[in-house]
Order: sequence, then C-alpha cells, then structure tokens
Amino acid sequence: MSQGAHIPHEDTGFVPERYVLAKFATSDALLEATRKIREAGQGELDTHTPYPVHGLEKALGLGRPLIPTIVLGGAIAGAFIAYSMIYFMNVLDWPINIGNRPPHSPPANIPITFELAVLLAGSSSFFGFFTLARLPKPYHPVFQSESFRQASVDGFFLSIKIREGESPDAAAALAEAEGATHVEIIEELER
Amino acid sequence: MSCDDNKEARAKDRQKRRSLPIVTAEAPRPSTATAARAAPRYWRSIEEREAAKAIALGAVNEFPPGADELAEGSVSRRGFMQLLGASTALATVGAACRKPNEKIVPFVRRPEELTPGNPLHFATAYALEGFASGLLATSHEGRPTKIEGNPDHPETLGGTTAIEQALVLGLYDDDRAKVLRRGGESTAWRVFLEDTKARAERLEANKGAGLRFLVEPSASPLLGDLRRRILARFPMAKFVSYSSTTSDGAAEGPRLAFGQPLVARHDLDKAKVILSLDADFLGEGPELPRATRAFAARRAPGPEMNRLYVVEPALTGTGAMADHRLRMRGTDIPSFAAALVAELATDTPALAPLAGLPKSATFDQRWIRALAHDLQRSRGSSVVIAGRRQPAAVHALAAAINAALGNVGSTVTYLLSPFDGSSGPKALGALVEDIAAGGVDTLVITASNPVYTAPVDFKLGQLLQRVPTTIYHGVYEDETAAVCGTMIPATHPLETWGDARALDGTVSIVQPLITPLWGAFAETQVLAAFLDEGDVSAHELVRRYWFGQRPGDQTAAFDAAWEKWLADGVLPGTAAQPVTVPAVDGQALATVIGTQLAALTAQADGLELGFVNDQRLHDGRFANNAWLQELPHSITKHTWDNAVMISEATAKAQGFETGDVVALQYRDRSVEGPILIVPGHADDAVTVALGHGREGAGESIAKGVGFNAGVIRTSDAPWYDRGLKLARTGDEHKFAITQTQWTMSPDGRASPPPAVDATLAEVLNEGSKFHEELEERRGPLPTIHEPVDYSHVQYKWGMSIDLNKCTGCNACVVACQAENNIPVVGKENVRKGRHMQWIRIDRYFSGPIADPEVINQPLGCVQCETAPCEYVCPVNATVHSDEGLNEMAYNRCIGTRYCSNNCPYKVRRFNFLDYTSEYTAARMMGTNPDVTVRARGVMEKCTYCVQRIERKRIDTRIAGTTIKDGELQTACQQGCPARAIEFGSLNDPGAKVTRMHADARRYDLLHEIGTRPRTAYLARVRNINPDLAKVD
Amino acid sequence: MSAAPSSANVSRDPLEPTVLIEGAQTDQSLNDSLLNHVWRGAGRGWWMLFGCALSALGLLLIGITYTLYKGIGAWGNNIPVGWAFGIINFVWWIGIGHAGTLISAILLLLQQKWRTSINRFAEAMTLFAVICALLFPLLHTGRPWFAAYWLMPYPSVQGIWPQFKSPLTWDVFAVSTYFTISLLFWYLGLVPDLASLRDSSKSRTKRIVYGIFALGWRGSGRHWSEYKWSYLLLAGLSTPLVLSVHTIVSFDFAVSVIPGWHTTIFPPYFVAGAVFSGFAMVATWMIPARQFLGLKHVVTIKHLENMCKVMLATGMMVTYGYIMEHFIAWYSGNPYEQGQFFKTRWHGPMQGIFLTMVFCNCVVPQIFWFKKARTHVGVIWFASILINVGMWCERFNIVVTSLHRDFLPSSWQNYAPTWVDISLFIGTIGLFSTLFLLFLKFVPAVAITEVKELRHEMEHEAHHASVGGGAGAHG
Repeated sequence: MSQGAHIPHEDTGFVPERYVLAKFATSDALLEATRKIREAGQGELDTHTPYPVHGLEKALGLGRPLIPTIVLGGAIAGAFIAYSMIYFMNVLDWPINIGNRPPHSPPANIPITFELAVLLAGSSSFFGFFTLARLPKPYHPVFQSESFRQASVDGFFLSIKIREGESPDAAAALAEAEGATHVEIIEELER
Repeated sequence: MSCDDNKEARAKDRQKRRSLPIVTAEAPRPSTATAARAAPRYWRSIEEREAAKAIALGAVNEFPPGADELAEGSVSRRGFMQLLGASTALATVGAACRKPNEKIVPFVRRPEELTPGNPLHFATAYALEGFASGLLATSHEGRPTKIEGNPDHPETLGGTTAIEQALVLGLYDDDRAKVLRRGGESTAWRVFLEDTKARAERLEANKGAGLRFLVEPSASPLLGDLRRRILARFPMAKFVSYSSTTSDGAAEGPRLAFGQPLVARHDLDKAKVILSLDADFLGEGPELPRATRAFAARRAPGPEMNRLYVVEPALTGTGAMADHRLRMRGTDIPSFAAALVAELATDTPALAPLAGLPKSATFDQRWIRALAHDLQRSRGSSVVIAGRRQPAAVHALAAAINAALGNVGSTVTYLLSPFDGSSGPKALGALVEDIAAGGVDTLVITASNPVYTAPVDFKLGQLLQRVPTTIYHGVYEDETAAVCGTMIPATHPLETWGDARALDGTVSIVQPLITPLWGAFAETQVLAAFLDEGDVSAHELVRRYWFGQRPGDQTAAFDAAWEKWLADGVLPGTAAQPVTVPAVDGQALATVIGTQLAALTAQADGLELGFVNDQRLHDGRFANNAWLQELPHSITKHTWDNAVMISEATAKAQGFETGDVVALQYRDRSVEGPILIVPGHADDAVTVALGHGREGAGESIAKGVGFNAGVIRTSDAPWYDRGLKLARTGDEHKFAITQTQWTMSPDGRASPPPAVDATLAEVLNEGSKFHEELEERRGPLPTIHEPVDYSHVQYKWGMSIDLNKCTGCNACVVACQAENNIPVVGKENVRKGRHMQWIRIDRYFSGPIADPEVINQPLGCVQCETAPCEYVCPVNATVHSDEGLNEMAYNRCIGTRYCSNNCPYKVRRFNFLDYTSEYTAARMMGTNPDVTVRARGVMEKCTYCVQRIERKRIDTRIAGTTIKDGELQTACQQGCPARAIEFGSLNDPGAKVTRMHADARRYDLLHEIGTRPRTAYLARVRNINPDLAKVD
Repeated sequence: MSAAPSSANVSRDPLEPTVLIEGAQTDQSLNDSLLNHVWRGAGRGWWMLFGCALSALGLLLIGITYTLYKGIGAWGNNIPVGWAFGIINFVWWIGIGHAGTLISAILLLLQQKWRTSINRFAEAMTLFAVICALLFPLLHTGRPWFAAYWLMPYPSVQGIWPQFKSPLTWDVFAVSTYFTISLLFWYLGLVPDLASLRDSSKSRTKRIVYGIFALGWRGSGRHWSEYKWSYLLLAGLSTPLVLSVHTIVSFDFAVSVIPGWHTTIFPPYFVAGAVFSGFAMVATWMIPARQFLGLKHVVTIKHLENMCKVMLATGMMVTYGYIMEHFIAWYSGNPYEQGQFFKTRWHGPMQGIFLTMVFCNCVVPQIFWFKKARTHVGVIWFASILINVGMWCERFNIVVTSLHRDFLPSSWQNYAPTWVDISLFIGTIGLFSTLFLLFLKFVPAVAITEVKELRHEMEHEAHHASVGGGAGAHG
C-alpha cells in the first residue's frame, strides 16, 4: 500500500477491459442476436434487460442456478441449530421441572425449529444471490454508456467483453449485422 | 444471666458485626439529640456522614435535655421543622435500630443471645380495649418486624387479630408525633417535668380540685397503682376513663342481674349451643382470639359440633359463621331477648317472673321456639352472648338466661371488672359538665383521640379550649392534639415498658422491642410526672411496682422471677378467680328492665341508625395504618372507605343504588356518605362504621378517607337509634372493592361452586350426594404425562384450609403482608383491581340476598403440581422446586404477566407501579430481611413462606434433625386464631396436614382443570337445627 | 368470474381478471407513469397527511416515554386482565401484515398475474405493520430493559436459559423471522426498480442515492437467472412462514387454560382473520393511493374486486370460527367455556365490543356477494374500514373479555383503558402512516419491473391468441 504511491500510473501495467455494448429494439431481437454472437464465439457475453426475458439463460448458455442448493443447506442448518439449541438448553444443561412437563417435549420445539429453518433459508437465498451476482458493485464499465440508462427502462442490451489484445471492431460489426439499433465501444477507466 | 454479661456479650459481638447498629448499654436514654449524635456511626456515604455531623449539631441545639434557648423562639418555626425533619430522618437510620438499654429477655423457646441474621422472639403484650393479649414479637437485629400470638398466653393461645398483626407498620409510621411541644414550640422533657412539678405543687394546695385525667380504660396494675397514688396526693382530682368502643350496657347489665359490675368471660369450647344477641365475638373485642379458637375447635362435624344462632342487624364475621341467622334491627333485639325469655320461661321457672316484659315487635315464633328448645336441651352447655352495642337490659337478660340454664360456671364465668365504673359516654359526660362549669383547670389526656371519638353533643373539641392547661399524650398529631396546649408524643406498644392484664386477669409485662424511634414517652411516665417521678424510666416504674408486689423477695430472687416473667410473657398465678354470682332476683330485675324496655320500645319510627366500630380501624386510632386501610372488609370486601350499609329491599324502597352518596339526617345533624348494599342486612336500618373521615393534621394516610359518622353520634344513642332520614345528594362514589362478584355464579353459570358447604346430616351420612360430589373433586385425573413422583423427597409441602373454621377475620391477610413485605397500592389502584395481598379471603354468598349463607374461602397460591403459570413463562422465572413448591425468581422476572393470565386461581400479584421506592428509612426498618422487596414490573405471589421453610431447614440441619410436624408454620397459619390452616409435609403420614388431606370433607379447588393443587379445602358444614330445617 | 370470457382467457385461471393494465402501454410509458409519483414534488395533500401522521407519531413517543417512566401501571391492565391493549394491538398489526406476504408470495406461487400491481404496496404494508406490532411485545413487559435480551438464548450470568415451552419464546423467533424475511423479500423485489429509478433520475444526488440502494444492478442476464430463483424461493418460504406466524401468535392463547383461549380452532381462525384484516387494510390504503398517485391503469377495479372476493371468503371463515367456538363450548359441556361464550360475551360488560365485532366481521362482508358492491370504490373503502374495526374488536374479545371473567368469580374485575393505552394505539397508526407516506414518496408503489414483464407476457399471449381475442392487454 505505502509504496503504491511511488509507482507511476503508466507502470502499473493496467490493461483496461473493453466492451462492445449493443442495443436492440425488442427482446426477441436481443435473444436472436445473443444466440448468434455466442455461436460466433465473440468474447464473454452478457445481456442487460429491464425485466427477465424468457430464454436468455439458454441463449447465454448458463448452467443450472445454484441458489436452490444454497437455500436447502440454509434450511437444514437452521432446523438443526434450533433443535439442538433447545435440547441443550432445556434438557442437557439445566433441566427444570416446569409445571410437571417433561424437559424434552418435541411438540414444543417444532415452532422454533421451523422458524429458524425459514430464517436461515431465507437469508441464505438473499445473501446467496448477492454473493453469486458479485453485487453490490457500484461501478461497471457498461455504466459509462449514457444510453445504457435505458437498460432498466425499456432498452435491451448486449454487452460483449473483448478478449485481451483483440480488437472490438469485429464484435461491433457482428452486433450491427445482427440488427443492433445502437452500438458503442466502452473502455474501462479503472478497476 | 445478668445485665453485665449481656453488655459484655454485646461488646464482644460488636467487633464482628459493625453493620449491626447496636449501641452500648451505657448510651444515654434516647432522645432525638442522642439519636442524631448516634446517627453518623452508620452512614451510607461520606456526604451523608458530613451532613449528619452538621445536622446532628443543629439537632443537639434543638433538643439538648433541658435547654431553653428555643423557648425564646430563636429558630423560626419553618427552620425548626426543616432541622427536625433532617434530624429525625437520621434518627431513624442510626438510633432507631437499637435494642433498649434495659435488659429485655427473649422468649424462652428461642436462642438466648442475638446472632446476626437470626431473628429473636420476645414475649410482650398489647392492650387494645383495656385487656391484654399476649404477643410474640420477632426482632431482626433489634428491629421488630413481625407480631405473633403468644401460645402460652391464656387469652391469645397463639392467635392474633388483623389489628395486632398490623402493629408493626404503626411503629415505623413516619407520621407519628415526634416532638414534645408546648403550643407551636418544641420543648424538652426536662422542661415539661419542671413545669409539671411546679403545677403539681400548686394543685396540691387545693387538693387537686380542677385536676382531671382522661384515660383509656385499662386493667394495667401499674397504671392502677399510679392512679391510686395520684388520687392519694390530689384527693379532689378525678380519673375519667373513656373509650368510644366500650358501652355502659356491658358493665351495667350484670350489675342489674347480680348486683355488682362484672365482666363476662365465655368458654365456647364448652358450648354446644351459642346464641349471639348482636355480639360479634368472632370479629371484635378482647375475647376474639380465644373465642375464635374455642368456637372453631367445636366445629368438627359430629355429635359434639356446636350450633351458632346469631341475631344482628348487619352481617358480621360472627353472622357469617352462623348456622341460623336472624337479621333484625338493633333496636328490636331487646324485644327479641324479652320474647326469648318469655319462651324459655315456659320450661324454666327461674325465668317466669321475666315472662311478661314489654315487646315492641313480633318475631318468628317458630324460630324462637326452636332456639329456646335448643338452648334448654343443652343446659349447662349453652350460652347467650349479648353484644356491646346492646343496652344494659339485654345484657341483664342474657345474664339471667345463662344463670337460669345453669351455664354460669361452665360456658360463662363472671369476673370482677378491673375498671372503676363506667368508661362509656356516661363517664365522659360527667367530665364534660365539670369543664363546662369551669371546674377543670388542668386536664391530662392519655385516652386515644377523644375529641374525635367523643359523642358529638359533648362538643369536646370546643370545651377543651376553655381548659387553661390541657396536656395530650398521643401517638399522632390528631384532632385532639390540635386543641391541646401541650402535646407529648406517645410511645408505640413495641417501644415501651409497662404491664397489662388480660380478660381472665393474667398479667403480662409489656417489654419493648426497640427504643422509641423519635423520643416518645410512656403513659406511665406522664402520670408519674404528677408524682414528681417523671424522670424515672418506664422500665424502672414497672420494675419497682412489681418488686413492691413481692414483699420479702430478695433482689436476686426477684431478678430471677422477673426474667422468667419476661421470657414467658405471663405472670404465673395472676389469673382472677371467677365470682360466684348470687341467684338472679327475677322480680326485682323484671321491674328494672321492664321500665327500661318500655322506654326502649317506645321509639320514634323511621330508619334505624346503627353505628359500629370499623373492623379494621377500630375507633379510628389505626386510620393511619395503610395495611388496615387497604384490608378488605370481611363481608363487603371494600377497602379505604366506610359506607352507609343498607339492605337491598330498603335501598330499593328508597330508590338508592350502591355508590349513591346520601345525606344521613339524624335529629338536627347530617353527614354525607355513599350507599353500599349489603346482603343480609336488616331492613329499615342503616349501619355506618366509625373511625373514618379523620382530619388529624399529622396523619397523611388517614386524612380524607371515608366519612366521619361520629358527627351524628350522640351520647344518648351511641349505637342505635331510629329517626334517620336519607336524602340523595346526587353525587356518585366509586368504592374500591376487591371482590366485585358476590355470588358463586353471578351470571347463572353452571360451574361447580368454588366453595362447598353441606349440612351436618349430609356430612355424617357416608352415602350422601355430598360425598359423591366431593369424590369427583379430589384424587388423580387422567393425564398424558406421568406426574412427578414426590414420595421420595424429604418434604412434600402441602396445606389444608378448613372452611368450617375460617371466620374471615383477616388476620392471615395482614400476617402475610407483614411477613412477605407486601406493599400497599392505595385506593385508586385497588379500584383498578391491583391490590397486592398474597392471600385473599374469597367470600361467597348463596341463597337469597336478603338472608344469604356465607362461606369464607382463604386463597393463596395453591402450588399446583402441574402449574399452568410455569410453562408459559418465557424466561424460567417461575419454576418448580423438588419439594413441589411453585417458586418465583423475582430478579429473573421480566413481567410479561402471562403467568397471571394463565393462573386459574388468579392468585398472582403484579407490581404495576413502583410501590416501594418511596419507603422512608423508618418504613424500611419494618421490612422482613428474609424476603426480597420487589421492584416495579415484577410478578409476585405466595410461596408457602419459603423463607420460613429454608430457615427452619437450616436450623434443623445444624441440629442434625429433620423438620417435625408443627415446628414450621406459615405466616397465615401462625396468625390464624381459628387454626383453620394446617401446613406441613404430605410425606409425613402423621402430620396434621396429611390427615386433613385424607379427610372426608377434603376437595381441591378447580380440581377438574387438573392442576393438582397442594392446598386442599375442607367443606363448610352447617349444623342445622332440625326444627328449622324447612325454613332454610 | 372473468368479466368478458373469450377464447384468449378460457385457458386462464378463473381468478384471472381480464383487465389488468388499462390503455395501450409501452415499457417507457409504464415506467414514466409509475415513477411519476416519485419524481413530482410532494403536493399539499401529501404534506397534510404527513403532518397528521407525524403528530400521531408524537403521541406514540409520549405514550412510550410515559409507560417506561411510570410502569405498566400507566395502562389500564390489572389482575385478572394482565393483557389488554398492548397485546390486542400486537395481534391486530401482525394480522394486518399478513396480507402483504400472502399477496406477494402465495399469489406469486399460484401465478396470479393480477398480484403484480399490488404486491409491492402490500409488502410495504407488511413491513410497516410488523414494525408497529414489534413495539408491543417488548413494551408490554414490566421490565423491557431485561426482556430485550433475557428472551434471547445467550449464556447469561444467571446461568438460566429461556424457557422454550412458552409460546412467548416462540413468538420472539416467529415475529423476528417474519420481519427479517419480509424485509429481504421486499428489498429483493425492489432492487430492479431502484435501478430504473437510478437510471431515470434527473438530479445527480437522486441518482447517487438511488444508485447506492440499487447496489449496482445492471439487469444482467446472468443475474436474472439466479434472481428469479432467489425471489421465487423467498416467496416459497414466506408462504408457510406467514401461516406459521399467526399460528404461533394464536398459540399464546390456545396453549393456556383460560376459557375463551383454550381452543384448538385458533390457528386456522387466526390466519383467516389475519388475511381478512390484511386485505381490508390494503384496500383502505390502495383506494386513495390509486386515486391520487395516478395508478388507476395498473390497479384496476378488477384488482379491488378480487380483493373483495378474498375478504368475503376469509370473512366467512372467521364467522365459521366464531360459530365453532360457541358450538364447542356447548358440545364440550365445559361450564366455564359455556359461561364465557353464552353469558359473558353476549351479556357481559364488554357486550358492545362483541356485537360490533359480529356486525363488522360477519355481516358487513356479506355485501360483497353483490358485484355492484364489489366494484363500487366507495363501498369497498367504507367496508374495509369497518372490517379493520371489527378485527380489532375480535382481538379485544379474545384478550380482555376472556380474561376479565375466568374461573373464580371472586377474582373477576372490569377493565378500562387509560389515555396512555389509547395514545399508544393511535400512535402506532401514526407510525404506520408515516412510514407509508414516506414509502409512497420515495419508492415506486407498484413493482414496475413486474408490471413491464406482465405487459410483455400479455403482449406475447395476445399475439398467439386469435385476432378477436379480447384479451384486454390491448384494451
């Protein structure tokens, strides 16, 4: 950290990533283009749409989502923690005669076991998603594009991450060819 | 052991227990000054210590013995009050917790010398109506905290009354008068003595004409002796004893019958048939503890069970216990007595001359006949008791009947009255005339607040201002103090030396538990001042007197005897011999009574106005005692109030509802009070309790509670008269009633009655429906989990309460309050339903509201084995002990109140507000150190006095023994004069409580819920007279 | 059910209304119209309402301060009525919260398209209602400063653990879980909309602020694929959760022995009541909101009508519950139960409250049998308010009326609330309104993303449907 100050910027060997950002009129056009360009094998693709568009996962060639597995894990952990906690506290550590009820009475443990399972499952679903999505991430090169502000309104975008050393022009051309209404090349400013 | 050993022992101890503020025996006799000086020895913070020094100095300047600066009024009254406040506060911290300097002797059954943390028990006595009841006072590090009855005392037998239980609170009452003052200025005892000496010499010149003493009726030998000596010195002086509670009738009646003033003493354990003519012998009077005990003892179902007939206007504790009760206006009762005599006369020749007495009313002949037969059937084992509120004629007739039925000597004995003559209105009237005639120049008042209690037509308050010198010796700055020149703060019974005589004549030495908190003085000292012996201590006075009573006794021998007297609490062989009464001269009596009855029966019409002593505040002297103010009335369950009690029919006829404020117009006087409809009250009659509506300047608690019925009470009709008119004022009054529902199924619910009763016949008949029903209300119920097995633990605590014995006297309630540091919540909070007493006496009516049957059902926590309160507590603050107690962990409680919601008995109490943080230093001293003082927001409840259990457990472990049955008593059990409560281990087959649990009358409250309570109830039994069976 | 049945929506779920989005809308127009109320400055109306809400909130603060200073004695509670306003309000608010989760979660799982325009609204209500509810369990204890953490299972110096057989302990877990999950669910749904707020915001500061909350959302296809699952699973979890929460709340009563509490019908009957009151509360707020926020084209009369149907259904369930209570009391032959239901409830001192409850909860919803009533905004609004009143009375009956006359007549007492009780109740309404008005001011009241998605889907369906397909998507 401390010596970082002495290093001149140009010596950091910082190679900015470059993106081709293409806008399409409709979701169908985007879908079509995505499939084609992926087959063409132009860099790493991503789409940006105001709402989930059916079929994009396939077009992008994404695998099965991980969330369900994570949530299941959370649920099991929650249930286990809850029941064992109750059992330890009211049965093992300090059993007390509570109005003649047995120290270990399973029915009484059901509510908390269930609630804790839901709590951990739900939290893991929420935080699991943001971890997988690497969010929050306030800065991303695509935000440099002024037109990208439409992405959350009614714009259907395709972003192509250009591999190092390659020229974005090919990808840009391809996008044009696929009927993008607007294409621009973005160079990452910082990382 | 002698005083010296005692001193050494303490001196040694003092090293070990600095914390225990016990002052050396050499300390000067207490006064606020010494108190203040002593204070800094026990400070709570440096600041306080410094402050203490400063104020102590000031205080010394205030009250050095015999200093006169103040006489010139050097300090402004205001500044004086400030200093006074400060120094007294310190006095409470420091001087207060001292054992008296004189040797006082622990009750013999207890450890001899004080060990820190272990309470000592001292035998003492307290005389309320002139007669003593023997008490045991518990002292923690020199602070009396609890009163019990002395089991060895013939009149107490270990029982107590609610009032006696509440004495402790009165002792630590910060409202007590704290300064000896002349006019508005404080003065010193020494100064007072010098003045008195001078005055005495002046008075001696004219043989003490104009010297008058107004005193409480008292049987104390020492006071009697002082009185004699004073009269010897001032032959023209007069002693007048007055108490608004004693009536001339009670003293006069026996005189009419037997020719001399006698006191009747009733042995109810010998009585099979009891008739009470307006006598609330289970609810008031000097006989209460013994009478209750004896009465209850004969309630066991069987051929020997007693039968109680009660004739009275307003339902009393005695009426509630009656097997047959006849509600009747008090003014009709003389006629009733006459009618009864007439009925008896047919089979009892001795009464024949009395057969023709005049009667004003006609009565249910069937009732009278049945009663008469019952009385005659058990000659010698029946008794007729006349109430203090009845005129001499009734007492005379009662005496005549008892004599005629051969009850004298068995169920009733007569003793010479220790009082000289009357102590009722008659006596006071004489004094009033003297004053009015200007014949009184010095009046010494040691009677309790006569200005308030005296009949209104005497106008005593105004008259007193005509007396040049009035000296009042009282506990509070009350109505009387306000009009008296000199005010001498009186000692509390637990602060003073003296002696007292019980009804049966037995003498007890009154020994103090603590030196006067605020430098008060004993009545004996005030009287002694007129013999120039005012500087002699109360201790010396009583000791001297009794030394004098034992001629030829050597000091050593006397010391030994003295110590034994103190330790036992009674002087052996001092009981009086019963008087053998002559046969009643029927003819003579008939003529005397005849005229009296004629006068009585020629009565004005209109409503009857009846006065009664408030069962809690007595004549008003306990009005500043919050425990008693908040104690629910045994019948109406109202607190912090008195009321215009009236029957439903009469109220309807007059168009009144409970809560309507009415003006009671009697003769030319009037007072306003709220209507309270009471079941079983006589029609066309009204009962109002005295002792309320106090206006004492110094009594902050008493002030403004209830209304003063005394302002329409006249000397010629102190208890009953007709001619009352009620007029609605339009105001509404909201009573603070702890039990709003009167009957067991107020809205016609079909639920099983919480309190069970049955006739004797049903109980004795094994196969009766009663036994079937009870069978369903005890024993195990089906349950899904195995009940915990308590048979192997050493103690399985349980309780039993015999509804057949409980008279609802409230002694247990106050006993519990004192033992467990239960706070009072005040009128407003009682209204909201937040009263705190851990044990409450549920009172249920059954039958018609005009003539209801009553059952009292004391209910504390019943310690359910399957406690519903426990499993709902989220923080484990209430859990079960291995001995089956349902325990509270106060410091763990977060106050969700869920436990209380889920308690079917609703015996849990919650600190809705902060009730204890405003305790004064003095009040704090009265708390029981073995019990937590609960904080705001905490739930609390009865724990079977777990602190007593644990203390006893420790004692027995040290002794290497186990807790035997009867060794351990809960506070309610110990306080109960009827012995209705038994407590012990259900694992001990021989224990009383175990036998009670096995009794055929046993049932469990709300048994059907399956809570398995540890407290069992024994059904109430009504001993119905077969001849009257159909009537009920 | 469907107003204009057509070949297009024959295949549809019968609950599916036809007109869900009125007029010819594009993503852009929806975006603008739905964000409009956020961008345009607060009007006088808003400020007035906000002022009222704040002053009510002030009452709440006063009430809380006084209660903490004076103790529970400041309330009207006594023995036997150990619980009163505190618990009534708690149960009432929790119940109201349920509609939100139900609409957003259960209707999502049932793929009820009409939910999309009201779920954001309802979820927000859930959150705020639960916040109001959460005040009371803590505040009603005698010593909240201990209750706050002694209820938690941590190794305390006292060595004592919480008592897990107590329904109150269950409550702690249930309610806190419910709040957490509702919050996460709501926020997850909000993220894409926050992004579009960020992107369509005019000023830089707004952009930054919304940018922060949008967490850098860029509608990435990779994100959407996980997002859909995450959202769906949260919905899936919320569904049993919402049922469990009120079930557990009902255990507070059902587990006890008190006549009127000790009954097995409580769980379902509480849940039904919760949905009942919840939908009523949504309607109460939605009707003015759609009016003044210009949301009529997405929150159509169809939505309101559907909500009326739900209210009618749940109202009947609640009524069935009341009848059952009485039947069981009679059938069991338990004299205490009988006394409670046949004597105390109908003839006791609290009679008035009971009859109000019967009228509001059993009689009023019956008007929703009529389409006229179901489609008349004024009627719905008035009825929904009555239902909220009725549900509050129901809780009063359960809590206070049952307690004030239980087993032993000797311990019976009457109950009267104090000014503190009342100001606390009004105060929570103030808190709720304050939060709600802020929500309407700063967050899109309608889930824009989902509405757009819905529009998109309906467009497709419309294409594939026959030309005459009166699928109102085209209007």
